[in-house]
Amino acid sequence: MIHLKNINLTLPSFALKDINLDIQKNDFFSIIGPTGSGKSVLLEGIMGLIPFSSGNLILENNDITTLAVEKRNLAIVYQDFALFPHLDVTQNIFYGVPYHKIPKQTAQKRFDSLVTTLGLEKITKRSPKNLSGGEKQRVALARSLIFNPIVLLLDEPLSALDPIFHEEAKQLLKKIHDDLKITMIMVSHNFSDVLYLANRGAIIKNGSIMQQGEIVSIFERPNSKFTASFVGMKNIHPISMQNGNMIIIKNDIEIIPAHKPSKTDENMGIRPEDISLKAFSTDKFENCFQGKIKKITSNGIFLNIYLQTQNFQFEAIWPRSYLRDHDLNIGKIVTFGFHPESVHTF
Amino acid sequence: MKRIEPLSWLFMFISMPLILLLTLPLIKMTFQPSVEMLIETIRDKDVVNAIARSISLSFFAGLLSFAMGTPLAYLLARKNIIGKRIIEGIIDLPIMIPHPVVGIAILSLAGRNHPIGRFLSDVGIQIMGTKTGIVCVLLFVGLPFYVNTVKAGFESVPIRLENASRTLGAGAFTTFMRITFPLTWRHMILGIIMCTARAISEFGAVVIVAYHPMTAPVMIYERFTAYGLKYSQPIAVWLIIISFILFVILRMLSRSINQ
Repeated sequence: MIHLKNINLTLPSFALKDINLDIQKNDFFSIIGPTGSGKSVLLEGIMGLIPFSSGNLILENNDITTLAVEKRNLAIVYQDFALFPHLDVTQNIFYGVPYHKIPKQTAQKRFDSLVTTLGLEKITKRSPKNLSGGEKQRVALARSLIFNPIVLLLDEPLSALDPIFHEEAKQLLKKIHDDLKITMIMVSHNFSDVLYLANRGAIIKNGSIMQQGEIVSIFERPNSKFTASFVGMKNIHPISMQNGNMIIIKNDIEIIPAHKPSKTDENMGIRPEDISLKAFSTDKFENCFQGKIKKITSNGIFLNIYLQTQNFQFEAIWPRSYLRDHDLNIGKIVTFGFHPESVHTF
Repeated sequence: MKRIEPLSWLFMFISMPLILLLTLPLIKMTFQPSVEMLIETIRDKDVVNAIARSISLSFFAGLLSFAMGTPLAYLLARKNIIGKRIIEGIIDLPIMIPHPVVGIAILSLAGRNHPIGRFLSDVGIQIMGTKTGIVCVLLFVGLPFYVNTVKAGFESVPIRLENASRTLGAGAFTTFMRITFPLTWRHMILGIIMCTARAISEFGAVVIVAYHPMTAPVMIYERFTAYGLKYSQPIAVWLIIISFILFVILRMLSRSINQ
């Protein structure tokens, strides 16, 4: 559907390097990376707002690398929504209609249905400056969706919203994707949003793609230290093989993985939520340690627990209730461990 | 009662002489001529013509700066053209060059001994002693005010809005007409006002390029040198009154359209 082939883009202080992406019809594709990794530049490049230095952009078997922005039939919803301040909500939504040869009745019909779907009935005559962040975003979505773009690009759609609109907007995006069967490319730095919304995606770092594919597989099988920590993996350490056993180099601790690491793997990682107390686990505890609770910090609903063994430290995430119910405190000695399946190597 | 900071008192004290410097001479001059004298002056056809000429030619220069200065302002605000800083410097030049120098410079280019001057006179354009010449120097001195005002206007429109318009299918020209222009026309009105105002006040460059047809400032100068203060003052008063009324009306118009 959309293919990026050997895309390079050089800006004075930044460059995209040899980007290859395949985005399929109806994908909810996410470009994921930290701030400054080049994901928004890539999005603007696909849109045609910044020219690529080399490479090809293929959309439905047509090479659109040098096609003018307005002829691409793609649409973008910006992080700051970019509503036109001198036009009211209705005028904003209708803005692109004259350029897409849509019959008047069809446009009106789409307008009516979008207004209903997006809950804009009460604000159609308002000026954008009197709208909340969530409302602005829905207007921006309607403005793009009214002409049925081939692909809808979303630039960090959730990060500019207040937390109370965040959840609502997330569900709305999912609903739009499911109902309208539209291909979406979303730029995001929040992996939990991506897990909820996207089916496929790519991790980008310093202008290069680190890994791409199914979101679930990126989440479960990160192929690099960077991706691993980006998708929430902790307890990342360099490993080596000794007599067929996998050990953490730092202090010779033997870890039993479910799958034998490949020759190129240099690190392992364990999700903090995969570490549990022995007393409350039915898992086969092949990786079992005894240690002291050294530090507890809060990250909201969950707590980060730092477990100190004789010569090593693990980081776990446990719910508050877990600690309360089992009377766990700093200094308490516990037996904990994790399933071999939880050991990821890369 | 609201207390006023000692520092504010000090600043007010320092500002006062400046305000007086600006207002006292004007007030004194405005109220010095007798009403009879003022009425007599405005009945003088030459005076009326000179003031009308000053205002109309200045306004024309303002409109020219709108037509030709707008694209320039847009380029300077939006594009990273080569030598942008130099062009910006050149645009500000008329503010610092002594005004007679402007007149002399234009004349030296428009004279018979310069190819451009010869070309102009071949196609029937006279600079020396014509309205064309006057508009030319007025545009020269007024352009920086228009371009700088409108450039600031374009810079205040986020480029993202123009990009958003393009992504919705509008071409570059349509985007300018539907997004950029509606968001900056107030700056353009202000720019025209500034350019016109600057042009009305111009004397030094005009007097060199065209003593005749006479503009109001030239006439005021002529009356002053020939007959003295008493005969030049009433024209000055009328010029100030009429210009002031015009600008107030223009400002109010642009504000009412705004609402």
